[in-house]
Amino acid sequence: MNECTSIRELIPWYVNGSLSVDEAREVAAHLSQCERCRNELTQVMRLNVEVRLAFDEFGGASAEVRKEVLGQTAGKTLASFNMGSFLLGFSFGASYQKGRVPIRGDLKLLGRKIRLISPHKEAHDE
Amino acid sequence: MSQIGDLLAKVANKDGAAFQQLYDQFADRVYRYAFTILHDKHLAEEITQETMIVVWNGADRFRGRSKASTWIFGIARNQALTLLRKEKRTENVENPVLVQPDPSKNIIQHERVMTALDELSDDHREVVYLTFYEGLSYGEIAGILGIPSGTVKSRMFHAKRKLAEALT
Repeated sequence: MNECTSIRELIPWYVNGSLSVDEAREVAAHLSQCERCRNELTQVMRLNVEVRLAFDEFGGASAEVRKEVLGQTAGKTLASFNMGSFLLGFSFGASYQKGRVPIRGDLKLLGRKIRLISPHKEAHDE
Repeated sequence: MSQIGDLLAKVANKDGAAFQQLYDQFADRVYRYAFTILHDKHLAEEITQETMIVVWNGADRFRGRSKASTWIFGIARNQALTLLRKEKRTENVENPVLVQPDPSKNIIQHERVMTALDELSDDHREVVYLTFYEGLSYGEIAGILGIPSGTVKSRMFHAKRKLAEALT
């Protein structure tokens, strides 16, 4: 793979600003001396704008979805209580969710949280 | 930790106000991402709903090894693909019609870009969305899609070429 090809592969992420510092420096150094890749950069920048406008037209989730999700999750806070510091403390909370009133309580000890009272939870790994 | 990471930490503590903030920051983004995969407003809303509920229930499992947004998009993708498999809709989305351009805008170029996006394969459109709309790195995209970084770059290369034709 020649240098222009490998640089052009990175240009979309140079444009969105997500390259590492070293990669961004490498792309910038190459662009400073390669007119064809500068043209590619211009084209990708333009594409970036056009594509973002197009995706904007997809719209968003409706207010009903928000209401439904909050109803099933955060609900309406009924009570919330926190005391102590980062190292040692206690927190308590209760909310209204879909006819239930889940309660949670945590003890914080040396900055580590210990769940004392836990509402129902669905497991999901990162 | 990032601002979103901080919010997630609060959500893990069942902080409803933090979850509302997180919802307001992510719901539309999750919806658009789901729409790029499913091409259906109602299914995209269903995925948005399911994803945000999983975020609420699983926030304490987020360890900060990846960006919080990457984690959330990963959940959305899994939910969307599960739904696709369940409904066996893959046969129906070969020629998706994404969004009809707003005729009042009447911008030929814009319509051409919409058409070009419409004609991209789902795999290519997903990479374009995550790169240009979400600003994710190729490594983060590789993580979400479960493919090598080289494949992300290759998909972008082909997608870019097709989209560039619409702009010339």
